[in-house]
Amino acid sequence: MQLSRRSFFKIMGAAGASVTALPPSANAWKSKAPPDPYGCLVDLTRCVGCRKCEEACAEVNGLPTPERPNCQCIVFDKKRRPDDKAYTVVNRYFTGKLDQFDKPLPTYAKVQCMHCQDPACVSACIVGALTKDETGAVRYDATKCIGCRYCMVACPFEIPAYEYHDPITPRVIKCSFCYDRISKKGGLPGCATICPTEALTFGKRETIVKVAQKRLEENPGKYIDHVYGEKEVGGTSWLYISSVPFEKVNLPVLSDKPSPKLSETIQHSLFSYLWSPLALFGVLGALMYKSNKNQGEPENKGGY
Amino acid sequence: MIKKIIVFAGLILLTAALCTAEIWKAPDQEKAKERAKEVVPFIKEYKDDCQITRRMSLIDAGISIKNVQDVYFLLDSPVIKKREDHYEPVRFAHKRHAALTKDCTKCHHFRPKDENALETTRCSACHQDSFNPDHPERIGLKAAYHQQCMKCHQEEAKGPVDCKGCHLRNVPDHKNLVKLPDNADPFQVTAECLRCHDTQAEDMLKTAHWLWKGPSPYTTGHRKDIMHGKGTTALNNY
Ligand code: SF4
Ligand code: SF4
Ligand code: SF4
Repeated sequence: MQLSRRSFFKIMGAAGASVTALPPSANAWKSKAPPDPYGCLVDLTRCVGCRKCEEACAEVNGLPTPERPNCQCIVFDKKRRPDDKAYTVVNRYFTGKLDQFDKPLPTYAKVQCMHCQDPACVSACIVGALTKDETGAVRYDATKCIGCRYCMVACPFEIPAYEYHDPITPRVIKCSFCYDRISKKGGLPGCATICPTEALTFGKRETIVKVAQKRLEENPGKYIDHVYGEKEVGGTSWLYISSVPFEKVNLPVLSDKPSPKLSETIQHSLFSYLWSPLALFGVLGALMYKSNKNQGEPENKGGY
Repeated sequence: MIKKIIVFAGLILLTAALCTAEIWKAPDQEKAKERAKEVVPFIKEYKDDCQITRRMSLIDAGISIKNVQDVYFLLDSPVIKKREDHYEPVRFAHKRHAALTKDCTKCHHFRPKDENALETTRCSACHQDSFNPDHPERIGLKAAYHQQCMKCHQEEAKGPVDCKGCHLRNVPDHKNLVKLPDNADPFQVTAECLRCHDTQAEDMLKTAHWLWKGPSPYTTGHRKDIMHGKGTTALNNY
């Protein structure tokens, strides 16, 4: 039997589901989101692609100066991702919008960690190196990190980067939400402080959501009627509003369910019963036996 | 020839006067600087009129571009400087912009709710610090300037929309950057400048300041003859 990765997960899922079905409420998943976090709204209609946020981020976080900091042309030719040298990058998209002179109108979009309310990265981290703080910041503690990079796989926005070049003390790199600044009274993230057009609005998440909704209401027809991040993956601290569809600026369509909900429910339910690992290994053993038997025979015939 | 001598003598006299007297300052620049330092009381409530109503009320109040008194502003404020300070403030020709747009409401888009307040208040009365939790939807002064200027420049396809079109970068303090011996000679000074400013030097070599030749649309009779200069006699070529 050829057991593909996909069918393996199917069987596992079924096993998980059957176990979950047994205890209806004992393991009900609970959100661990902080009650009153900060948030930041990115209004793509206001962003002018000046990349000052990249420069300011590098400055306040002691990162290397961004590539061609004053360039607003060739840097945009390729799509960039936040990497081990930059917590945030701005990309340019031509989405088919035209200005009043029929010239293609660019849309610029800043990318950084979304600081999810129920972060998949925190849930995936097995040593607690990533934590969700009261301020809303998802913080990283390099001293705890063992470099397994599960967070990178888990993040629905593909944000965490890794210092592959550093053989001794490689770290996971991602936007810190300027924790050191925003945790002080009146502190602002570096990027939001510098943004010349206030394309970035910082404040309490609750207020920011209202500001976003008000902006949509007061400018009918200007925006897509959706606040990205209000509900996506259970809500994120960084929110986006835009006049072009979000998929076109690389903000993926995601379910409203927090990603940890599914994975944690399966994990917790599986391991909360003593017999469940036995059942799991039983299933695995049976599968292995079957697949070995199928594969084994012709090989034996050939002889080593 | 006589003309030239007179001009020369005039120049020498002027330099002498400058050295002895206090340095002359442009009065409108000084006034603009003082004004930019002021922080006025924050206007919390504004009258939410549409632009047409706004235009009508300005006409009713008898206010038009003829009333513009302030010629020139420096778009600067301690409110902005408090947060960051990377660029020189923009010099804004207020009267000229008024004359070009012929519409005060383009910038003076709302008025304070208080009936006794001025019909056209300054930007920094309503727009101050960003992200004010009491007025979360009110944009800060820096954003107000940028959104207003850039939007209009884009729509009118006139005026700069890039950073350096309006701003100069803050000049870093050269005290610690320049390294020269005491009583340095001119060659040493030039070499020291060139240490960092080689692109500017390259550009300079192509200009009339270096070549002493090139198009001369502003000289008397569009004269093109070159008598002296770096491109010809190399008298003062260092
Ligand atoms: S965006 Fe990714 S890295 Fe950031 S908090 Fe969410 S899951 Fe974690
Ligand atoms: S919040 Fe701070 S760390 Fe994150 S992108 Fe902005 S400046 Fe960089
Ligand atoms: S600083 Fe503001 S306007 Fe400039 S690129 Fe960043 S988000 Fe856009």
